[in-house]
Amino acid sequence: MSTTDWLKPLQHILNCPVHAVSKSMAEWSDLVSNTAAMRQGDQKFSSPIEGERIEKDGRTWIVIASTEYAVDLLEIESSSLQTTEKELISWTLQLNRGTLAEKKRAALPETERNALKLGDWIQKQLESDEPAYSLPDHLTVGSRLFNEMIPFLLVTEQSGTKQATYTELEKLLRSFMSDDVLLIPLKSQEWLIWGSVSLLKDEDSDAFDEQEEETLEDSLASIGLGLHEMLASEWIGECHLAVAHPTSPAKGMVETTILLRETINLGRKFHVGTNIHLPWMLQLERLLNSIPEAQRSKYLEQSLKRADLFVESEMLSTLDTFFTLDCNVSETAKKLYIHRNTLLYRLDKLKQETGLDVRQFRDAVLVKIILLLYKVTKRN
Amino acid sequence: MAGVRLEGIYKKYPGTDKASVTDVNLDIKDKEFLVLVGPSGCGKSTTLRMIAGLEEISEGKLFIGDRLVNDVAPKDRDIAMVFQSYALYPHMNVYQNMAFGLKLRKFKKADIDKRVREAAKILDIEHLLDRKPKALSGGQRQRVALGRAIVREPQVFLMDEPLSNLDAKLRGQMRAEISKLTKRLETTTIYVTHDQIEAMTMGDRIVVMKDGFIQQTASPEELYNHPVNIFVAGFIGAPSMNFISGSLAEQGGALRFKASGVDVVVPEGKAAVLRSKGYIGKEVILGIRPEDLHEEPVFLEASPQTIVNANVEVAENLGHEMYLYLNGIGTDTVIARVDGRSGVRDGVSVKLALDMNKVHLFDKATELNIFET
Repeated sequence: MSTTDWLKPLQHILNCPVHAVSKSMAEWSDLVSNTAAMRQGDQKFSSPIEGERIEKDGRTWIVIASTEYAVDLLEIESSSLQTTEKELISWTLQLNRGTLAEKKRAALPETERNALKLGDWIQKQLESDEPAYSLPDHLTVGSRLFNEMIPFLLVTEQSGTKQATYTELEKLLRSFMSDDVLLIPLKSQEWLIWGSVSLLKDEDSDAFDEQEEETLEDSLASIGLGLHEMLASEWIGECHLAVAHPTSPAKGMVETTILLRETINLGRKFHVGTNIHLPWMLQLERLLNSIPEAQRSKYLEQSLKRADLFVESEMLSTLDTFFTLDCNVSETAKKLYIHRNTLLYRLDKLKQETGLDVRQFRDAVLVKIILLLYKVTKRN
Repeated sequence: MAGVRLEGIYKKYPGTDKASVTDVNLDIKDKEFLVLVGPSGCGKSTTLRMIAGLEEISEGKLFIGDRLVNDVAPKDRDIAMVFQSYALYPHMNVYQNMAFGLKLRKFKKADIDKRVREAAKILDIEHLLDRKPKALSGGQRQRVALGRAIVREPQVFLMDEPLSNLDAKLRGQMRAEISKLTKRLETTTIYVTHDQIEAMTMGDRIVVMKDGFIQQTASPEELYNHPVNIFVAGFIGAPSMNFISGSLAEQGGALRFKASGVDVVVPEGKAAVLRSKGYIGKEVILGIRPEDLHEEPVFLEASPQTIVNANVEVAENLGHEMYLYLNGIGTDTVIARVDGRSGVRDGVSVKLALDMNKVHLFDKATELNIFET
């Protein structure tokens, strides 16, 4: 039944003007903030919920439905409306909400419906105190989820109209990875992707014997980089991607999601500007993140004689590159396009000011830890 | 093909007060090769990423052709990108890597094949089409990344330090190839680099950036010969321009620039400008490029009023030319570029004449070039 079908009878019952209006999210937000005291319910601003009510200057607005960009409202022009009447309308619209969601879901293709069910189940396990780690039988979709697959977690940051749909992303992934892809929407803009392990197999590996044997981690990183490049340039723009070791989705769904989420959080926290996050590259970060904030700050204060040295972007990028290149002076100088002596001068300066010589293993470890801690505490 | 227009573009990251890119205005013409250059953190890559659609624009308008594209997804901007950290798709061979974007855009198989083979021919990678990326060298991978961009026949190429992962020799070779390629394809190109040699040799115009602000936009010649401030003057040119802090004084009917170990006459044309702008008696910074310090007897004879004495700390002979690291001219080391056959050695004293017609004078407070403002 469309809104116009029941608008007239409602108007007749209430005996006052009733209109169906549509407002943008910005207009809705203004309305909410201007009438905060009058708003029914105890929430601060959040997404509008069907049946939610706002009153101002003798007018009442009740949410009929909403999307990410707009909200449809019932506008009732009467100050004489009884509270029970208003609550009755709200209740009816709330009832309608559940039915609508079910109808919406029923209209989706089977793959997306199953993926949504999986997403809901994962979400429940993540919120539960005692999560189940194996998928229940009714969600395993045949034997497919028992095979090993490569898990990826994708987080996009686009707002408003740029957000993409399940169908669009799934189609893209199928073109890129082959048909053996499982896409599960988790939270808004967060997607769990399972790709086939065949992506790691190289049919013509005999053709280039001179190449060094690639480790599994190298191959996973390459796939992650390629997927990120494709998503950034062929889909929606910048996004964060984490990839982990292959596992069976049926058994590792929850654990893998926890690991990948933690990886993206650690990567974004400790390595701003990096978009591909690999769990095996964030071991130290994981350890440091588990130290309470107060203790981290205290340690930094005690170990840094000259904190200002670490504020200098030149020193930060020098040390970052130096550690990335395994403390190799020549390679670091080459990468930074500076003379070897310039690099040595910078390292000597650091030694002079802090007493730490990063060419010594012990001091290098300390500086690396200080640098990581400094990056996160600076932003707090 | 199309031009690109940036109008009052800003980039502010959440939680920071300072903008990473401030009020960038650029009108990039169709088929132009524009280079964004500056030190790391100057905002050049952020600007390019906003054009690419990888970063949201905080404020301002971006047009590709006549179309406002602020809210258009990267894939719909009709651009092709090649980045420093370009990643080929490891599970696809070179042909599939190049064809993927076209396949997504539903091109016919025959069209895809034609475009891929043509691009492969241009880039000289026809023999590699069946290979997987890990069987390629760095230079070959770079060519494939370029090929992936070329086959799209986009309105604009965006390149962010695409050569920085290559060794020096290959970089020089690819530099020339990219220049040739973009001329041949007649595609508007925006190229980011921190390397001023790449900027000078490749760009029709160069935009020098620092701390998120555009310092100067001009042709390579214009930037080299008429830098608007000390930053641009020091950034463009290798070895860098020498800066000598001193003051201007009238003496015997001529205007003289005086600094530690320096007392030289300013040519009348420049003197007139300095007088009219009220710089007499004030402190200024003199900028002189290494090639504008001369030790040839002919020049010394012709310019007796601009001669300085200096000690050679180090003489680096590169064969065709020689860099002299000098002290005694101002307070800092000054570099002179002289003929490789001059025979100057470490530790000796030399007489040099400054080519005062080529010098720049900068306001000490604003650091702006007095003759260009």
